[in-house]
Amino acid sequence: MEGRETERKAELEKMLQDTEPKPKTTIVWGTGLVLLVLPFIISAPLATEILIWGIFGLGFNLLLGYTGVLSFGHAAYFGLGAYSCGLALRYWQASIWTGLLLGIVSSMILACFIGALAIRKRGVYFAMISLAFGQMLYFLALSPLKQITRGEDGLTHIPMLQILSISLNRPRPLYYFVMVITVLMLYLTWRILQSPFGKLLQAFRENEERAKACGFNTTRVKFLSLVLSALYGGLAGALNTIYLGYVPLSTLFWLTSGTMVMMTILGGKGTFLGPLIGAGVFLFLQNTISLLTPRWELFVGAIFVFIILLFPAGIMGTLRDKYTSYRMVKLKKQIESSGDSI
Amino acid sequence: MFFDVPWNVVVLQLFFGLALGSIFVLLASGLSIIYGLLDVVNFAHGTFAMLGAYAVFLAVSLSGSFGVGILSAVVIVGLVGGLTEYLLLKPLYGKDPLLPLLLTFGLSIAIPDLIKIIFGLIGKPVNYPQAFSGATILGPLILPNYRLFIIFFTLAIMISLWLFLKKSDLGMILRASTRDSGMVQILGVNVSRIWTIGFAIGIGLAALGGAISAPMMAATPDMGVDMTMVAFVVTVVGGLGSLGGAIVGGLFIGVVVAITSFIAGEYATVSMYFCMAIILLIRPRGLFGEIGRE
Repeated sequence: MEGRETERKAELEKMLQDTEPKPKTTIVWGTGLVLLVLPFIISAPLATEILIWGIFGLGFNLLLGYTGVLSFGHAAYFGLGAYSCGLALRYWQASIWTGLLLGIVSSMILACFIGALAIRKRGVYFAMISLAFGQMLYFLALSPLKQITRGEDGLTHIPMLQILSISLNRPRPLYYFVMVITVLMLYLTWRILQSPFGKLLQAFRENEERAKACGFNTTRVKFLSLVLSALYGGLAGALNTIYLGYVPLSTLFWLTSGTMVMMTILGGKGTFLGPLIGAGVFLFLQNTISLLTPRWELFVGAIFVFIILLFPAGIMGTLRDKYTSYRMVKLKKQIESSGDSI
Repeated sequence: MFFDVPWNVVVLQLFFGLALGSIFVLLASGLSIIYGLLDVVNFAHGTFAMLGAYAVFLAVSLSGSFGVGILSAVVIVGLVGGLTEYLLLKPLYGKDPLLPLLLTFGLSIAIPDLIKIIFGLIGKPVNYPQAFSGATILGPLILPNYRLFIIFFTLAIMISLWLFLKKSDLGMILRASTRDSGMVQILGVNVSRIWTIGFAIGIGLAALGGAISAPMMAATPDMGVDMTMVAFVVTVVGGLGSLGGAIVGGLFIGVVVAITSFIAGEYATVSMYFCMAIILLIRPRGLFGEIGRE
């Protein structure tokens, strides 16, 4: 009898040390179900936009939230994906899958290049360099490559697309197409985070020196994380091209990177659903405020400053912390009471 | 076709490059001081430079004197900078090192919109000061006076900054805090105040850069990010946290941009990013960067 009690107590104490909620597969399918009804709650184009930024954010969060590397030039991957897909669709009349694939591959190649040059750097230094590379791409598309990219006007005349003879220029079918891809990417992210590689990423974020001392090659893991993150960025960019039917130059602009940073921080970096929630809240705020005033950036920027000061963990991060401390208190009480009964 | 260009035109481009580079030097040295002292990469650096340009516009239209304009730009924006550090950045020290960068990024989004509300979307032109309009003729060279002024003015500022850091007591404390702020604290100096002062000085330098560039390109709400970007590139090229690097890097990038815009105009902005990529390839810590700080 006493043995069982102590066993129970040890079990509870173990839970006390390990209270961080773990993502379960249900979170993926549950989110999928919510997304299924989303276009009935808000307009389908807005919902599509949220999903596209959500995919972008999943990758960005892998890098910032789980590896602890801040890239301020993620517009480069988003924009390159958008342009590669757009150029392929427009000039080669490529199929939708070729377009998406080209977007992904080109972004990953760019990430290899930037990663090889800069991933060894300290955090803030990498942020500066990635930003500068992002701007380099922006200015390249703006004027030297004007012949191909159409400069400031953006890339237009992208043909309409079809899947299984369903036209993608109607909002609902397009939404569900993007939704399927989003759920797949959510599942992929979940698998990555549960894999030994995913655990390694988080180990680096927590303590890079110790991970290094354990014999892991931190540079290689950070590099892989960057390239993976570019996969999401390229995919999101390519989907954005399909969604808009054209490629605006602003996909490469630094503000695109900045928006991504704000969304991820807002939703909660290092939380599984943070980027998706962040994208949703941000776009909703942006749409609402810009109805009232054209100076929405003032409000969004100010809100962001307050979040950094007061809730740096973001929406999902703050919720998680609350939940964790709630469970801690509950478990402590349980241990105390089981201790009394002995 | 390249060699047909008369030598005086080439020299003139170099001269323009040095003048442009002088502005870059002011921007980057401020960024460097702040980074060295606080380990904060100030994303809003160019935004403060933009505020400097608007301060000059305001002061010149009120007082009519360019000297007063520059002085008030430095003092006002420097104070705003100090206040920003005191109110917004201080609570973040000792937490995630990326938070200050993110906070200043938020400022760089919000402040330009505030300026748009106050001053409107269209830029505000600032006249060349009377004393420096016109040009100096030096044999076959025609050098615009205002650009000459920029070069000598920056030279004077950098020399006084150097003297301040090397000779004055406060400068010594600033340098010591850059090295080891914990030790300075133990010796009885209020390091927290030193950080505020250092941040204000860095912002003052940025404001100076924005202020003296105002007559050449007018004060516009969105000029800030471009200036932040230039300051970043110069710091990466020169080496993060090194004042000498900021000077050499700034002049170098200035000359590169001026020469490229003469040879192939559309590559002017891209050229500095190429420079940065090449420097990163052959000398990853920048021209003057200390090993281990990058």
